[in-house]
This record gives sequence, C-alpha cells and structure tokens, in this order.
Amino acid sequence: MLKEKIGSVLLEVQRPSRYCGGEVGQVVKDKAKVDVRFAFCFPDIYDVGMSHLGMKILYARINERENYWCERVFAPWTDMEAVMRREGIPLYALESLDPVKEFDFIGFTLQYEMSYTTILHMLSLAQVPVLQRERGEAIAPLVVAGGPCCCDPEPLADFFDLFILGEGEDVDLELMDLYHTMRDAGATRSAFLRKAAEIPGIYVPSLYDVAYHADGTVQSITPKDGAPAVITKRVMPDLDKAYYPDHVVVPYLEIVHDRVSVEVLRGCIRGCRFCQAGFIYRPFREKSPEVVCRQGKALCDNTGYDELSLSSLSTSDHSGIEEILDGLLAYSEQGHVHLSLPSLRVDNFSESVLKKISAVRKSGLTFAPEAGTQRLRDVINKNVTEEEIMRTCSIAFAAGYTQVKLYFMLGLPTETDEDVLGIAALAQKVVDLFYATPGRAKGRPQVTISTATFVPKPFTPFAFEPQVEKAEILRRQQLLKKAVDPKYIKTSLHVSDVSLVEAVLARGDRRLGAVLYEVWKNGGWLESWEEQFRAERWYDAFAKAGLDPAFYANRIRPYEETEPWAHLNYMVSRSFLIRENRKAHAGETTPSCRQQCAGCGANQCLGGSCF
Amino acid sequence: MTDHRIVFEKTGRARFISHLDLNRCMVRAIRRSGLPAWYTEGFHPHMYLMFPLALSLGTESLCEVMDIRLTEERSPSEILSRLNAVLPEGLHAVEVRTPQDRTQDIEAAEYRVTLTGEALLPLWEQFLAQPEILAEKRTKKGVQTIDLRPLIEAEEAQAEGDHLILALRLPAGNAGNINVSMVTDAFSEFAETPIYVEKLLRTKIFCGNGRLFS
Ligand code: SF4
Repeated sequence: MLKEKIGSVLLEVQRPSRYCGGEVGQVVKDKAKVDVRFAFCFPDIYDVGMSHLGMKILYARINERENYWCERVFAPWTDMEAVMRREGIPLYALESLDPVKEFDFIGFTLQYEMSYTTILHMLSLAQVPVLQRERGEAIAPLVVAGGPCCCDPEPLADFFDLFILGEGEDVDLELMDLYHTMRDAGATRSAFLRKAAEIPGIYVPSLYDVAYHADGTVQSITPKDGAPAVITKRVMPDLDKAYYPDHVVVPYLEIVHDRVSVEVLRGCIRGCRFCQAGFIYRPFREKSPEVVCRQGKALCDNTGYDELSLSSLSTSDHSGIEEILDGLLAYSEQGHVHLSLPSLRVDNFSESVLKKISAVRKSGLTFAPEAGTQRLRDVINKNVTEEEIMRTCSIAFAAGYTQVKLYFMLGLPTETDEDVLGIAALAQKVVDLFYATPGRAKGRPQVTISTATFVPKPFTPFAFEPQVEKAEILRRQQLLKKAVDPKYIKTSLHVSDVSLVEAVLARGDRRLGAVLYEVWKNGGWLESWEEQFRAERWYDAFAKAGLDPAFYANRIRPYEETEPWAHLNYMVSRSFLIRENRKAHAGETTPSCRQQCAGCGANQCLGGSCF
Repeated sequence: MTDHRIVFEKTGRARFISHLDLNRCMVRAIRRSGLPAWYTEGFHPHMYLMFPLALSLGTESLCEVMDIRLTEERSPSEILSRLNAVLPEGLHAVEVRTPQDRTQDIEAAEYRVTLTGEALLPLWEQFLAQPEILAEKRTKKGVQTIDLRPLIEAEEAQAEGDHLILALRLPAGNAGNINVSMVTDAFSEFAETPIYVEKLLRTKIFCGNGRLFS
C-alpha cells in the first residue's frame, strides 16, 4: 500500500526518479530470507548522496552477505517532504519501499556538519524517536553513524546509539553479526550497546559521562559499565585485499558526480595542516596498479558508465600513477571511457600525465594553492611553490587549456593583508603567463579565484586555532576584490554564517545537542543548501541553550585543554599535532611522508613503517 | 553499419524516467549489453541513438521506439536478448525492426486511460459533447490556448466499477503533439469531482492515414 501511495504522488514532485528506486544495480532480496536489515541513510538529497563512494562500498559489502540486506535512503527535497507529510508517507528505503522504522539498523554517514539537522529531520520523517534516550529498551531500530565527522561526534551524542570510527568494511559486519545473535537471544538495547562497545572502533556515547569546568571546557570524560577509556578507529591495512564493489547502482537522473570511481589510495602523504582528511584517513596505503585497472574496468563494464574517476585525496601521489594510466588508456579509447583525476596536484603533474588525460577529455584546470604567499603556504604546509604552479600552467596553456580555477582559503592562521594581496598577484601572474605562452589557444584566459573561509577541524595541527570572525573575513575579501583586474580574473568570494556554524559543530561538545534540536524544531534541515540555511535560527538556538558560538569557534584552545574528542583515537598522536602546530607558527614545513616519516603514529596499525 | 529500430515497453517504475534521463539510461544499457554501437566522429564522440517520439513523464507505454546503429551485423534475436539482459526494471525490448518510416511521418498516438471516480461515464460523454474544449498548451512561444475537441478521437469509453477506461487517439509528433494528460486535466476541471488518474498507457503510434508507424 505504501508502494502504491508513493507511486501515486510522484508526479507532483520534481525529478521523481529520486524517489522510486528500481535502478540497475540495486539489490533486492526476499525479505523472508533476510535476518538483518540495514537502512543506509545519506543526510542529503539523492543527487548528492548517490555520488558518495563510501556508501557504494558499504552497500555492496553488506549485500554480499546473503542474509543481510542493505538499502538506500536519502532526504527528500522540500517538495517531496511536503507531499510525504500531507499523505502520511513515512521515510522509506528505495529498494523495498518499506518504512525505515521497520529496519534493524538506521545508519547515517556523517560527511559534513551542515547535514546534522537533516539527520534529525529524517529520523522524525521515519517516525523514529529523535532522541536516543526516548527509544526504549527494544533492540531495534538502532540508530548508528559512520564517516569522517565521527572524529568528533559529540554534538550528535544525544541522537545516536553508537558511532563507528574509521573504515567500515569489516566492523559494520561485526556489528551486524553481534546484533543478529543478541536479538535472537532476546537482548535489550542497552545490553546490546554494552556488548557492542567491546568491538574495536565502536563508540557508544551513552556509556560516557562528560563533566565540564566552570569556563565551559571539558573537565573529564568517564567511561561507564566497562566501556573502553579510548576508542580507536578501524583501518583496512591492505587495500588490495579490502572489499571493493564491481557494480554500483546506476541512477536515472544526473547526479552530482555522475561517474564510477575506483579508489586508488587512502590517506595522504602531504600533511597540509588545515586538511582534516589528510590526517584522519592516515596511514597512506596504495592499491596496486593492476588491481586499480581491473576494478575500474569491471565497474565500467557492469554499469555502462563512460566516465571513470581515479579517486583519492591526491591521485597523482600514487607511485604507480603512470602505470595505472597506461593500463587504462587503450581500454578508455576503445570503449569511449573518459578518465578523470579529480585531485591533481600541481607539483608532480607531468606533461605525460596531462597528455594521457587530455587524450580523452579537455576540461579546465583547477589548482588549490590555498594561500597567496610562499610564507603562508609554508605555514599551512602546502608544499607548492609558485614556480610549480607556473610550470604546470604553462604546460597546460601550451596544450590548449584556457581555464584555470584557483582555490584559496581566507582566515588561515597568521594570515596578513600581504598574504591576501598575494592571491591577486598570483592570479595575475597566471594571466600574464597565458599571454607569454607560445602556442596558446586563441582568446582570453579565464582565471577564477574562489575563496572559502578556513574552518579549524579536530585531529589537525590547526585544531587549536581560532576561526577568524566574519567581519574581518569580509574586510579581507574586499581587499582582494579591489586588487584583481576583473577583465581577466573572476572572483567567487563566498562568505556566510555557515562557516561559523561549521566551526562550532566541528569542534563541538555534547551541550550542542540542545542547539541542533532547537534549530531542527524551528524548521532547520537540508541546511547544506544555502536557500535552506537561516543564520538567525542558529543564533537564537545558541542563546536559548546559553552557549556562545565564539567559545567554540573563535577561541585559541591551549595545548593542555581536554578536547571534547579526547577519548577518540584517530591514530595521529596529539604530540605530533602539537609539534606540527608549533612548526606552523615558526613557518617551518614538514616534508611529505614519502620523503621522510614525520612520526604521526598512524603506522601503528600497519605493524611497521608506511613506506 | 546497420540501423535497427527497437520497440520497447516502458512501464511501472520506469514511467518516472524522464525523456532526457531515458537517453542516458539507454546509452548505458547498450554499453552494458556489449552490442557494437556506433559512435559519432569528432571531438566529443557520442553514441548514435535516436528516439522518434518522446513520451511524457508518468505515462507508460507498450510501443516506445528507439533507433540504434551498430558497426557490425547482429541478428534481431541477439539484439533483443542482449538488451533485455541489461535493461532496468520496467524497460523491456519487444521487437527489433529495420526502420521503415521517418520521424516526421509520425502523426498520432493512441492511449489507454484508466480513471477512477464516481459515475464518470456520463460525465465523459458530456465532456465530449461540448462544442469546444479550451486548454492551455505550453509551447516554445509561450502559453497558447487551443481547442482540444477536434483533436480528440475517442475510440472507446467503458465503465468498469468506479473505473472509466478510455481509448484515445491524439495528435503526436513534430507537427503538433498533445499530451494525454492535457485531456485528463481538462476533463478533471470540467467534471468538478475528484478524478484520479490511475494509469496512462501509450499503446500505438501512427503515421498519416491511420497506418501504424513502423
Ligand atoms: S607514520 Fe610517518 S609515513 Fe606514516 S602517515 Fe604518519 S607521518 Fe606519514
């Protein structure tokens, strides 16, 4: 009946194929033969969530088990949400079209802070109690989460039964196995949670008491009922042996990243000090070129996609990147498959790599120097020099490229006006270089500067840093804007209160649960979409909870302070992060892991050195 | 190089695939099928694929048509079985032909319409008995008011319980296309009682003088 009801309303909404399932590659099982059902929820709309690689891996991984069934759930866009409420349609999963509340696990992926209120809204649409303490002793449904934001999930502690730290390929199944046994033995929710906390990587927030100092900082985090004092993230030590799907769901509509991806490496050797992904996904592990090629071809053959992305944080850092490209080139030409490398770096971007990609597609180049002067690039350890940027641009211009996009951050630690003006100067040099390049394409170069506001994140050397306040960011933007020649350089200068909210939530504590709840109650959800975000809603909620956003965002956090995530271990040691923070202030760089190990501690899970 | 006209059904959940998305979906299906599709030459080669008549979102069909071009000879039965092995739920190839008619030969299409509501048959008869049925049609030039009455050829109208089942023939193709939902919308408005459109199904495509498009 739910099925018919859904079918009967879909013509009222935009892009109905977001909501009907039935795509090629979806996994449908016989409910009667399934023991445990997992609703994999992405707290954003289909178009965004379907682009997410982690979901594809875990979906296929769980479904490999005959008696477990993983289905997909996305947030409805506002038009569909209104129809669902009008018709009393609860949040449902796309494969079976069954209500999410009937599942054993409701699992969210935490990719960005601005999706948090969407999680509350999806739970409420699912007709599941939003607050963990109101879910009672029945074991199901369990509301769980994984993903990068689990490295400080404290603002969400009130809403989740447990968090899964690190890479989920193995631990998800361990958790489901434990659930299967305990449910069949009649266990309660709290008994299950106590037992689940024994699985490495599983963090059950209700088993920890947090006490605060009078000034609002954390005094202590105390485990209860035998829960471990420290929870360490899970890591798949060997990517060649880690599970990787050879098929994914093929959407009908064009999604944000409409291509298949093969992951070529995990972690990052660079150590850019602002970049959370570069630290929390350590250690650096490569997939061997033949495995990359085999997996990539299988994905294209099985899905019919004509674009294959070689994805990672920094694909050109793969020691066998040329071998991978050579291995895929003939296949890509014959099969009309475009190869894309989403994360090219300027310093090791060689002419031959460029040729191999442009053989199949010419598109604009994007670089992320992040800072306008060498001094500031040294501070953030973005080991990219101006010569390298110029060299790469000149190769690209000579090869016929005209578009260059440059990404920067404003508000980085120690940034001065000189650094801001350096952004304009760098962009102008790129323009001048275009005109000086023999064999360049006709017409004008299109150079774009995009800036984002720096958000300090946990488990980075800048976790101790204050975020620069909005008024000051605005002043720096105006300074930059006046310094560029708009004839040749476009600026896309973004500023909003979103960065502040992100900074608060990223390093937040449990008291922020009340703020999230209040914002959601007042209609805040899908706030990763600018038109859905209302700054006042957040400011009102902070005031109501008696919390000052500046306390979280704009304050220097001393090295001695207990951080809200002090009980979580992401393998990079605190002493390493402090060392890196000191080096940043001294303007000293740290070489890449390939050149020299900086002793971050992440190799502990490999039982040896990374390289 | 050989051209093939594939007749396929688009039913069930597949009615929610828009025309634009259908193209992408078929390109991927043909790639999965391993059929030797021909690609255009040039800087951005793309698979040659042609849909002579679009179907609007939400309408099902038993007679959709798609033309493909292969670089090597393949038998109709092989094309059918390869495609059906890889098509998503709701899309099903039923026949492979050599194209006879051209896109511009298409003039009409027939639909089977299932409506639910109270005592609809007499209302439908009154609806058709009107001297004119004015409706708004969106065109490239903007919204236009047209008279639907001369364009509707009602082949059949039958009441079954609280269902009304219609067979309608409407103009289709480049010369002027009338979506079947325009007729059901106009009828709903006329009837002033809740009418629920249970199903819209395209059953046939015609050339001029009532010959089936082939
Ligand atoms: S242990 Fe050394 S080589 Fe490995 S990730 Fe950390 S710093 Fe890099």
